[in-house]
Amino acid sequence: MSEIAAKATIRPRRRLIVSRLVPYLLLQALIVIATILGLRLLQPSDPEDFALSGFSLREDGAARAVTLPHFTSSRYSLADPPLYTGAFTYRPADAASGWSVFLPRFSNAVEVAVNGVVVLDSRRDANANRPDRNTPQIALIPASLLRDGSNEITVQLFVWGPLKGFLDTVYVGPDAALRPAFETRTLLFVTLPVVFSAWQSILAVILAIMWLMRRREPVYGVLAAAMVLGVMQAFVPPPVPPATTSRLAAVLLASAPTESALIVVFALLFFGWRWPRYGALLFVPGIVVFAVGLLGGPPLPRILFLVLGIPMVGICLLLMASITATEVVRRQDAASFTIGCAVTIVLTCWVHDMLSVFEIVTNERTFVSRLSYSAMLVAIGAGLTWRFARALNQVDSFAGQLVTRVREAEERLKASFAREEQRARAAALANERTRLMRDLHDGLGGQLVSIVALSERGHEGATITDAARAALKDLRLVIDSMDDIGGDLMLALGSWRERAAMQLRPHDIALDWRVTTPQGLPLHPELRPWHVIQIVRILDEAVTNAVKHAQARNITVTIDTLDDGQAPYGVISIADDGKGFALAGEGTSQTARGIRNMRSRAAHCGAVFELSSDSSGTRVRLQLPQVFPDSDAAAG
Amino acid sequence: MSEQGETGEPITILLVEDDAPTCWRLQDALVKAGYDVRSAGTLGEARQALNSGAPRVLLTDLRLPDGHGVELIRETRQRCPDTEIMVISALGDEESVISAITVGATGYLLKDAFPTDIATTVRDLVAGHSPISASIARFIVRRTQGAAQSSAEPPPGPALNTARLTPREIDILWGIAKGFSYAEIASHLGLSKQTVPGHIKNIYRKLEVHTRSEAVFEAVQQGLIKL
Repeated sequence: MSEIAAKATIRPRRRLIVSRLVPYLLLQALIVIATILGLRLLQPSDPEDFALSGFSLREDGAARAVTLPHFTSSRYSLADPPLYTGAFTYRPADAASGWSVFLPRFSNAVEVAVNGVVVLDSRRDANANRPDRNTPQIALIPASLLRDGSNEITVQLFVWGPLKGFLDTVYVGPDAALRPAFETRTLLFVTLPVVFSAWQSILAVILAIMWLMRRREPVYGVLAAAMVLGVMQAFVPPPVPPATTSRLAAVLLASAPTESALIVVFALLFFGWRWPRYGALLFVPGIVVFAVGLLGGPPLPRILFLVLGIPMVGICLLLMASITATEVVRRQDAASFTIGCAVTIVLTCWVHDMLSVFEIVTNERTFVSRLSYSAMLVAIGAGLTWRFARALNQVDSFAGQLVTRVREAEERLKASFAREEQRARAAALANERTRLMRDLHDGLGGQLVSIVALSERGHEGATITDAARAALKDLRLVIDSMDDIGGDLMLALGSWRERAAMQLRPHDIALDWRVTTPQGLPLHPELRPWHVIQIVRILDEAVTNAVKHAQARNITVTIDTLDDGQAPYGVISIADDGKGFALAGEGTSQTARGIRNMRSRAAHCGAVFELSSDSSGTRVRLQLPQVFPDSDAAAG
Repeated sequence: MSEQGETGEPITILLVEDDAPTCWRLQDALVKAGYDVRSAGTLGEARQALNSGAPRVLLTDLRLPDGHGVELIRETRQRCPDTEIMVISALGDEESVISAITVGATGYLLKDAFPTDIATTVRDLVAGHSPISASIARFIVRRTQGAAQSSAEPPPGPALNTARLTPREIDILWGIAKGFSYAEIASHLGLSKQTVPGHIKNIYRKLEVHTRSEAVFEAVQQGLIKL
């Protein structure tokens, strides 16, 4: 079963690979053909009317006739360079714009003399000294040098190995005829590389910044490093032999293998491949070139570059091609497709250059690898920037979604919080209302009913007055307790003192008010109106008892604050000098009921109630809790 | 016994109360104490009485059949600056007392006060001693705290501008709110006992809203006047 299943999965996969790889490879073949055609078309045309190809070459003491373009053997000494001697015919009729000598391609350097006078020395132009750029040269021939009819032109070709020396056809003619060809070549082989390099350096900066801000993605850093190397390679002036001063410059010029290795690393990272076990080997050729070049000095870097570097570039390009091909099969996405096509173009150019170096195809020794490579890097940089921008867009939309989600959640939360708060408030209000109703029922309601009853029985005077006053007092107590006193019980006691004094005045009982601490009682933020009502009712009951039953002359209220080490708590004592009463026995009397009420009220708000009574007076001690209870359920 | 002013004439009181039994009760207590009491049951009657001569003391209820006592207090303050004004209140709640104070009243009298207390309160008022209760003092000082905290939400109850009160006056109010006697407050604050009632009258004066438009505005704010 499983074997069949495995086969069944393998077969479609293989079919998939074939179905994807074949079109890709066909496309690459098309690109190769297009590249070759493009290179042909790109080949700038030269003004063949003014070509000079028949020269006599004097080399190593022997002279022979040669036809340009011509290769000479590689050499490492500038002494006694190959000397090409030729002749051209000057026609003053064509000399309106002056005559020039134009050399489209040579390596490595030339010194041109007309009639024995030097008119051009390319060694002074740093760009012209680079064998990898196809720098053309042009020079005006001073009119005074020219003679009607035949003139002599000599070209000294300076060669520094390991490449062979090369001299393309020389053109001598009216400047106006030669210059357009020169300009075209300059644009293609001098200006364009500079533009690419500038572009590359900007991308290098951008990518380096990206990498600095996103260390998790070394792909940007690797590409930036590759680009920096490329830019340095492009702008370092090549030392002209025999100058051997700048070994570093020589080494940097030979940095292509390192650069191409970095590009391979970039491709690996970009496509999210695992780092291969022997991946570090990629950098070996580059490091060898560096090390040997730094130790040995020229011309070692150049030789090593040719032997190690250029094949390494080819290997890297092949690696890139296979990596991207794999990815194309796997992903079928724009990035792998684009990079794959770019690699194919560069590879084609590299092969073209190799064929040119080894003179396998007839050519004018135009090297295009570097140019195409720069174009590829720019393409990659643009791709990365595009990917980055797309990622930013994704982040934006994600952030937008997130903001919306958070806002929705926030609103839901707010709504539910408001609901919850409203519910809690309603519950608290209902609670408060219940307590208040209970209290009004017990106090005010009872008193009013009592007034009604007394009036109906025809009572007059004092009893009804007393009941009505009690009712009013109760109403004031309730109103007063509802006020926000900010947890300061003293404020409630202040009002109570007034009412008690008013109550006692007709009975000629003195109210002695003693507050032992300047602040009065400790603050209780948790103090609720119903706590206040309970406490004030206890005090009222105590005073009423003293007035009605004890025949007291003085009542002393003491407000004290004690501290048991944990938190301060208040103690309110009410003492009278009346005759007192027996605590036991009279279980049904009004006094006994009052005392029971006081005790239960104290228990409701967590206070400790003590009462002692003897013939010298009655003393009520109410010890307030450190924290008032939130609900009265505890008291039962 | 007859209560007399500096001129020897009995002190005149205009009593404005629409509930007849309450009016009788207060009138009895004041007449017994020797005051010359005229009574009015409505705002119109009270205005007529004012036209016939300024009383020394005006005692007025706030809810009257043809208007609000606040209007009467304000008018009296303007027309008869020497008249002492007290509001008569059933409960002495801050809502009614404070609104009367802001238009010029300097005290309040409970409708169920004992007759002796009624006479004493009026006598003290004429002598320049304004009465204040613990709950009114509490209301004022809590309002000063509210102003200091500058909470965005205005506290419930009538509008009250406490900005002009001095710290000493606020201390006195705190003492009264906590139930201390004038003597205790005076000794705590290092004052003489006699100066405390004067301070209280000052406090009332400072809480008064002076301009007419201000007063109307305040009254409208409090819903006392319906436009």
